[in-house]
Amino acid sequence: MFGYLTLELRRSLRDRRFLLLVIGWPVGAYLLFSSVFGNEPGSQGLTANTEMMVAMAAFGAFGAVLTATGPRLANERQSGWLRQLRLTPLGAGRVLAARVLAALALTFPAICLTFATAAAVRGVRLEVWQWPALALLLCAGCIPFAAIGMVIGQVGDGDSAQGLTMVVYLAMSALGGVWMPVTILPSALQTVAHALPSNRMAELGWQVAGGHAPTLTAVAVLGAWLVGAALVARLLSRRIAARG
Amino acid sequence: MTVTPLIHPGAPFSDASAASDASDASAAPGDAITLTAVSKSFGAVHAVDDLTLRVRQGESVALLGPNGAGKSTTISMLLGLAAPDRGRVELFGADPAAAVASGRVGAMLQEGGLMRGVRIRELLEMLGSLYPSPMTVERACSLAQLEGLENRLVDRLSGGQTQRLRVAVALVGNPELLVLDEPTAAMDVEARRTFWKDMDEQAASGRTILFSTHYLDEADEHCDRVVVIGGGRLLADGTPASIKASVGLRALRFSVNGGTNGFDRLPSVRSVEVRGRRVELLCSDTDAAVRELVSQRSDAYDIEVTGVGLEDAFVALTNPARAA
Repeated sequence: MFGYLTLELRRSLRDRRFLLLVIGWPVGAYLLFSSVFGNEPGSQGLTANTEMMVAMAAFGAFGAVLTATGPRLANERQSGWLRQLRLTPLGAGRVLAARVLAALALTFPAICLTFATAAAVRGVRLEVWQWPALALLLCAGCIPFAAIGMVIGQVGDGDSAQGLTMVVYLAMSALGGVWMPVTILPSALQTVAHALPSNRMAELGWQVAGGHAPTLTAVAVLGAWLVGAALVARLLSRRIAARG
Repeated sequence: MTVTPLIHPGAPFSDASAASDASDASAAPGDAITLTAVSKSFGAVHAVDDLTLRVRQGESVALLGPNGAGKSTTISMLLGLAAPDRGRVELFGADPAAAVASGRVGAMLQEGGLMRGVRIRELLEMLGSLYPSPMTVERACSLAQLEGLENRLVDRLSGGQTQRLRVAVALVGNPELLVLDEPTAAMDVEARRTFWKDMDEQAASGRTILFSTHYLDEADEHCDRVVVIGGGRLLADGTPASIKASVGLRALRFSVNGGTNGFDRLPSVRSVEVRGRRVELLCSDTDAAVRELVSQRSDAYDIEVTGVGLEDAFVALTNPARAA
């Protein structure tokens, strides 16, 4: 499984479009937003520079996980590579595990580069322990997105999964308060925002960046998304398997 | 004209020296593949219907059948990708999934995709590492005629190269049983010749090979045994020679200057094929057909009678009603 995992990572890091999407976009957006709003007070008890750093790292991280799961799964289902893999001793369980682990590992380039940009260009300063804690927490907060990606990868073919991933990605970002503070949304949408995993995983980051422990509510919302999406993904994969 | 099926579906022809013994319903030691009364339907379509087949270790078997005969479904079931509705499938006397998990099986599927964005060497190394005693990447590439392309990205291969990489993917684990679905479909004549020379070596070293093919001459030359299925049922099972003989047909060929209609009314004719002035009839009694032809048609010339090839036997077996 280690060999397969390594190969999954290697080909992602070779894919320029993927890198542009999951690293270029969050880092670029951070530079843009922080140059406009950076010196205003943030809404989470943090400076806007720090708040946006966490938001953009989260944006890049769950984007990487969605892209590395949904469209890829759909493509490999369609091309028959998954069938071929099932004919090796690897086994479906380890294929799934490797895919999820690879997707989670691919969050770190976005997270680390956004952090480095914020520290170097905007002078964001945190306690030493906060950096790794923040990175690990944002990565862990992406686990529900891996399950969501598995759902997307099984509802469509390669092209429609690509489109659906983008729609989910942008909706999660805009409605989840990652691009703009939740407080500027109409109140009905604010309720929606707080139920989204994108908002809750960024919240984990904001809490740790502010020196607080993550709230149970945030963890519970993320856990509910994970369980729900995993169950749907399992149901869909059984239905596909039954079709033969 | 209606034609009686040559081989009644309920009574498949079997060659005693090579065929499966349908009365013995369990896997015997030394069996690589055992299908016992296996059926699989998709909705109202009986893709595979009560198929019993046994392949011993070391055999090299060609699975033949027209499109929709149930070849792919049979291969899916024997690899454990699809579960039979009824009957039992065993590889090496165990569940197919167990044989796959222990690395005893290598397979090439027709619609088998490949991992994108990786080099041939990386892909084959990764796959080989999953098996207990893999062959080297160099050996797999040389058998699949991919030498010199080891560092090429999988995405940058031509259709034929992709097909050959699928073969290498099946081979690299050095499995005891190789299942190849149309391995030579995208190869040119030269590549096919080299490929089969290598496969003959593989078979000689004791590997069990089951392949499906559209090229009947390949089945004729390179395997001990031919299994013909049609409509999900076993139609014939034996050596290529015995299958040709079992059909009980001979070919009557001649040219005519006049019209080419009405030859299906000659005695014992099972099929008619006309190419320009040249007519080929498959007949169960060529003597009677020749006599009648000569008395009816004074314009017939260049008359010859020969045995049928595997291709004719195959057509007669799988599509007896195609005639005329």
